[in-house]
Amino acid sequence: MKQGKLKARGRLGPGAMYHMMMLPGILFLLIFSYIPMVGVITAFQDYVPAKGMFGSEFVGLKHFMYMFKLPDIAQVVSNTLVIAIGKILLGTMMAIIFSVLLNEIRIKYVKKSVQTIVYLPHFLSWVVLASVVVNMFSLDGIVNQMLAFFGLENINFLGSNTWFQPLIIGTDVWKEFGYSSIVYLAAITSIDPGLYEAAGMDGASWWRKVWHITLPGMLPIILLMGVMSLTNILSAGFDQIYNLYNPVVYESGDILDTYVYRIGLVGRQYSFGTAVGLFKSVIGIVLLMSANQLAKKYTDRKIF
Amino acid sequence: MKTTWSMKSKMLTKGLAVLSMSALMVAILAACGDSSTPPTAEEAGKYEVTPGDPFSAYKDEISVTMGRVTTANPKLPAGDTYENNAYTRLVKDTFNAQITDQFEANGEDYSRQVSLAIASGELPDMMRVDSKDELKELVDNDLIEDLTAIYDQYATDNIKQIYDSYDGRALDNATIDGRLMGLPATSLDSAPTMVWVRQDWLDLLGIQLDADGDGAISLSEVEKTAQEFLERDPGQSGNPVGIPFVNTMNTTDYNGSAYTMLGVASTEGAFPQYWMNGDDGKIVYGSTTEETKQMLGIMAEWFKNGIIDPQFGTRTFDDITALYANGQSGIAFGPWHIPDWGLISAKQMDKNAKFSAYTLEDADGKVNVAHANPSNQFIVVRKGYEHPELAVKILNLFYDKLANDKDAATTMPEAAKYQETGVDGSTRPFNIEVNSATSLLDDYSDVVRGIKGEIGLDEVRTTESKNNIGSIKTYLSDMDTDNVTAWSKYHSRINGVGLIDKLTQENKFVWMTPAFSGTAPSMKQTWANLTKLEQESFIKIITGSEPLDYFDTFVNNWKKQGGDQVIQEIEDEIAAKQ
Repeated sequence: MKQGKLKARGRLGPGAMYHMMMLPGILFLLIFSYIPMVGVITAFQDYVPAKGMFGSEFVGLKHFMYMFKLPDIAQVVSNTLVIAIGKILLGTMMAIIFSVLLNEIRIKYVKKSVQTIVYLPHFLSWVVLASVVVNMFSLDGIVNQMLAFFGLENINFLGSNTWFQPLIIGTDVWKEFGYSSIVYLAAITSIDPGLYEAAGMDGASWWRKVWHITLPGMLPIILLMGVMSLTNILSAGFDQIYNLYNPVVYESGDILDTYVYRIGLVGRQYSFGTAVGLFKSVIGIVLLMSANQLAKKYTDRKIF
Repeated sequence: MKTTWSMKSKMLTKGLAVLSMSALMVAILAACGDSSTPPTAEEAGKYEVTPGDPFSAYKDEISVTMGRVTTANPKLPAGDTYENNAYTRLVKDTFNAQITDQFEANGEDYSRQVSLAIASGELPDMMRVDSKDELKELVDNDLIEDLTAIYDQYATDNIKQIYDSYDGRALDNATIDGRLMGLPATSLDSAPTMVWVRQDWLDLLGIQLDADGDGAISLSEVEKTAQEFLERDPGQSGNPVGIPFVNTMNTTDYNGSAYTMLGVASTEGAFPQYWMNGDDGKIVYGSTTEETKQMLGIMAEWFKNGIIDPQFGTRTFDDITALYANGQSGIAFGPWHIPDWGLISAKQMDKNAKFSAYTLEDADGKVNVAHANPSNQFIVVRKGYEHPELAVKILNLFYDKLANDKDAATTMPEAAKYQETGVDGSTRPFNIEVNSATSLLDDYSDVVRGIKGEIGLDEVRTTESKNNIGSIKTYLSDMDTDNVTAWSKYHSRINGVGLIDKLTQENKFVWMTPAFSGTAPSMKQTWANLTKLEQESFIKIITGSEPLDYFDTFVNNWKKQGGDQVIQEIEDEIAAKQ
């Protein structure tokens, strides 16, 4: 009996060791992702910190009802979607174009320095970059000075509901495209050079090679990145917007995260904030699932 | 042999896993439960050298953590910080209590820090909260100490007299269910928001403001002056900017009224954000009245004509202060003490800067003012802090002893030096003011008589006034002085308070008494949204992205989205009191 047990354990041996190595990751997930999920309860309560999660009064869907009654919520959701989709589309396109072009540069040190320069903004926080952006785009900033030079009218970018969204999307793409191009560059390197040689023999132009070899070769990665970014579709970038917005552009710039932060946390309506956050997560899951299904349907690839 | 080893290793790994897991659980559980019970006031007395004495020190050094409200320009001497300065050292020397700051922040950032502290339940031992709302929430959550007995036992007679000068309203505000839950800051009865205008620029351009010399000017005079400043750029900045306003636009707190448009509102008899008695005896929210609409009409017109900063709404408080420092703007709306911490940056950059204070009069030549809430800020003590009486003792030390000790220069030389050199009051452990109801004009009278030599320095009631007399004399003997403290004290006391004094004596003020200043129950849910609605709508109207008639839409929405219910609740509450 005893012998048998030991034997069984012995057989599990090597696998168990590897499983043990997962422990830190599992713990991390458990502590930072699963335990906090219990907090979702507060969305259905009138949460009072002193009474705690299990002592506060249950009010059912009250906070969700209030959320859908708020006239701002439609606006906030649409802002979030527009900004997030804009960032994903433009950011991905820029990164792909950049990586394809960069791949053509044959001089190694030029390539390296270009890369370094475009990676750089990724490593600066929005707290720092926001002041740069504000300086550039304010009424007496360099952008408006250039507009004035060409005889164009000055634009208050940071105080204009027309320009705020493009500004947010544009500056985010500028900050991130270099860094996100890394994966695409890696994808390009993994394409069989024989294909290019063969195409060259057949007389394909540079453009044809890109169109028929490089891009299809990158497709799985593009798809993967696209589907993964969909999880974040309702997180349009708290840091960036929080550091750049002001009451004038709440109308076009307020996203779910900033809204929850202001109304929920600063206004100390914890339950309401949680309700909006939960709403956000549910939409995120639905989108992720459907994107995955669509990917399978049209390209026969999916990520889970 | 090999088997045993790998078995051992497996056991070890497993053991480690179990161990780390349980350590984790212990840590989590420990973080959840906090079972220490606070000692009673008598027990706390055990640590004191003379128990119950308002100024008694502790035998062993104690520590206290604080949430501190800072100022952009505190003028601390080199090397001193908010955490370690003459005032905090004075607390250490007097009580043997070491202050450390749990957080330091300014303006909206401070409110955020307080919100986060409440949400996480990790309060500093003492901090300031800035509304009765927050005070109530802290009490509901059982997070702060009841100070009733401690106040009775420890507060000096002087401190008690100061609070009593508000006929009980000051302490009432901090009292919930009969228990004193915080030490209230006092807010002197308000005065109109003033208009501060660069006098040196007026002189340079030959503009004569306030021809009749009554201290009150009309809106059109402000408008004309702003236009002149814009066209002729007397600050030679190359980039003059119209009058800047903060995007919160309104406040019911006179002291916090810097860069708001309350001054403009007063000319129309509008009181945005105040709860007023309507003509029909019903409660009216000031931001929804016809008068407020008219004010917005004026602001929109001004914005269109560039009288208002074209970047209105996007600038932060500090951005606006910078406009004055850079000589880009020369007209500022704000309270009497704004030269001490805001406009002073203009003097630091430009030796010639001088400001004159005016107030705005309505079409009948009267100045409209609202009575202030006697206190809107409270010092609270974390529940379970072992020495809650220290809060009252610090209050005694700064608002009684330091304020009134005639020999402060010898007994507390370092702190006295701070007062003399005009280091900002925010560097005291509590960034609040505690003064008797009549102190503003009493002090003014002291200062004026002191300057004229009618009374000797030893007859002046407070140390601060004594210092102010010195500073103002310095300024009067040399108006081009480099001494920015002398400059700011002259501006705030003589120009600012002097104007209030003059208008009070001439009976120019028309007072409005607010009908209500508390919080109704449903505001907890709806107020954040209603405030946002108000701010956004006002900005849209002013910047012209919506026409003035959009105001009616705003009022409708405001009522529908919870305003009507709030009004109903307030009416019920008032009816219940009668």
